[in-house]
Amino acid sequence: MDEPRESLEESCEPKRSEKTYNWRKKLNTREEMLKYLQTAERYWFSQEWYGSERRKTPA
Amino acid sequence: MTDSEKSIDRTVESLLQKAKQDEVELVWDRLELQLPQCKFGQQGVCCKICAMGPCRITKKAEFGVCGATAETIAARNFIRMVASGAAAHSDHGRGVALTLLALANGEASDYKIKDEQKLIAVALDFGIEVGERNTEEILKDVAKVVLAEFGNQEGEIHYLKKAPLRRQELWRKQGIAPRGIDREIVEIMHRTHMGVDHDPEHLLRQGMRASLGDGWGGSMLATDVQDILFGTPEPILGEANLGTLSEDEVNIIVHGHEPLLSEMIVVAAQDKELLDLAKQKGAQGINITGMCCTGLEILMRHEIPIAGNFLQQELAVVTGAVEAVVVDIQCIMPALANVAQCYHTKIISTSPIAKFPGTTYIEFDEENALEMAKRIVRIAVENFPNRLGKVAIPQEKMEHISGFSYETINYLLGGVYRASVRPLNDNIINGRIRGVAGVVGCNNPKVRYDWVHIELVKELIKNDVAVLQTGCSAIACAKEGLMIPEAAARFAGAGLREVCEAVGIPPVLNMGSCVDNSRILIAASAMVKEGGLGDDLSDLPVAGAAPEWMSEKAISIGQYFVASGVFTVFGVTWPTLGAEETTRILFEKMEGIAGANWAFEPDPIEAAKLIIAHIDGKRKALGIDKARERVLFDMAKRRELEAV
Repeated sequence: MDEPRESLEESCEPKRSEKTYNWRKKLNTREEMLKYLQTAERYWFSQEWYGSERRKTPA
Repeated sequence: MTDSEKSIDRTVESLLQKAKQDEVELVWDRLELQLPQCKFGQQGVCCKICAMGPCRITKKAEFGVCGATAETIAARNFIRMVASGAAAHSDHGRGVALTLLALANGEASDYKIKDEQKLIAVALDFGIEVGERNTEEILKDVAKVVLAEFGNQEGEIHYLKKAPLRRQELWRKQGIAPRGIDREIVEIMHRTHMGVDHDPEHLLRQGMRASLGDGWGGSMLATDVQDILFGTPEPILGEANLGTLSEDEVNIIVHGHEPLLSEMIVVAAQDKELLDLAKQKGAQGINITGMCCTGLEILMRHEIPIAGNFLQQELAVVTGAVEAVVVDIQCIMPALANVAQCYHTKIISTSPIAKFPGTTYIEFDEENALEMAKRIVRIAVENFPNRLGKVAIPQEKMEHISGFSYETINYLLGGVYRASVRPLNDNIINGRIRGVAGVVGCNNPKVRYDWVHIELVKELIKNDVAVLQTGCSAIACAKEGLMIPEAAARFAGAGLREVCEAVGIPPVLNMGSCVDNSRILIAASAMVKEGGLGDDLSDLPVAGAAPEWMSEKAISIGQYFVASGVFTVFGVTWPTLGAEETTRILFEKMEGIAGANWAFEPDPIEAAKLIIAHIDGKRKALGIDKARERVLFDMAKRRELEAV
């Protein structure tokens, strides 16, 4: 069993952000949204095959 | 069982004592009065589907009056549980989809599209043209095609195409690809009618088909439509447990599963007029908290504290501090009305399909949702001066990070520029993460409340298995402090801890409500499609568990996990144990059909061992059972390689 590690908790300021971090608000235009889907969610929305399904015959 | 043995949650014991003083009967008391419970029912060999019965199978009477064997009876009972569970999730999906259609038709003006990105993704899933079309037009098309999934008669439901290609192929080959969500449920009811289908395996195959219509149909579209209407969850800092109730504010608990009304209650509670009224009545404000999956829905999207899970619904009322419990559908104990009679709490039921004798009924109307919500909040505020006797709110509450939709996990692993599950796959391949388990499901008073969830999850993360969660299991772990990043340092194995620290996430991720188990299916599909972990969901080093299950919905969830190729372990009890062959099909033969089996193990440590052994077996089959670091070659090493 490894030695217990020091938690960052004590070195952090005990303060919470009042704002929720909305990463989806980074995508504002239709073009940005479609582009994000084609790259980040390429498993479903890219025209190319990816990962384990590359070069496979479609089901 | 003593009071302290009933739960590991410290809020329980003190409130059980208060309930005794207040002469209130709770779920544990009612369970005791039911003991001993019927063994025939427990083991699945009691049949009451026709008036020649009820029949029960014994050594003396091996057949029911019609001639049905224990195997037929248990298989029929089992898939009826699947049908009911699938119907519950899917009808929830239908409800939110109808609201989406109403919004598209201009008949639900209190709602709006909160996540256009998700709308576009769903449109693409269903083959709807996006391009430059305006959002309202896309919305109309999406609402119509989503609703058509229910009544589809031929072909297969659209979302199956999100699964890995190999899995789709298998479903078609085995004849278990669902045609329409409703059709498969209705077919179960037909096949299990007296004198129709009697072959246990044939019956169980239809159970698989209907459950897939739930996981990849009704539940998945419920999740997606809710994300469109209310936003795709992003990380939030929340609080959990009954300590989130407030002594000097009006407490309103929203309980059930469907967030259509609770979303509006969150808005209504910020209404200035109602806040002023609360002050006039002597309260400092209005405190909304959630319970069960409705609670998770508004927690994930609005940071609304979650007061508790299934077995805390009565205890919340026993605090004497709750002005109103607003209920919608599913997992709401009818006993709430009786408990509330001992206090000032108003139970307000709202769903046209779920009425509770002895409660205030205000029918939900999506066209006037906000007005209705304000009316309900007003009732609660006006009830504040009626608090009786001593209020006893437990101190316990725990912070947690929630909001891990699949989209958010994918984003956190790479950001906008390179969002991907690649880092997850890489860390599974290099052995830092041994595998992934989806631990989900209910609470059950037959076992020590929350204890089985917590022990199982702790054992898994200790052994480097990352845990994805939904439902009451997620709430149990949130209350226990397993959903803060620091939990990785305290409870996780060295490998998992390292990954959690690098990404800044807890080792146990809250993915939402019980329909959000569909998020787990999507995450697993992304892992397969990303590559390096096989070609099918059944190749992945993953497993599912519902260690304190009680509802038919849990059986449907477990069945669609198994039918999707995910080994799944249930605790508490198993509903076919009186039928050897039917149980053998579920525990041994389903692997030959769908690539995974069910298992039953009530002991959490033993259940963890089963899961870890399964994960290790999959790792071995993938050839990743020995830790191997990814080596980046420099030019000298490349030249050496070329020289060979």
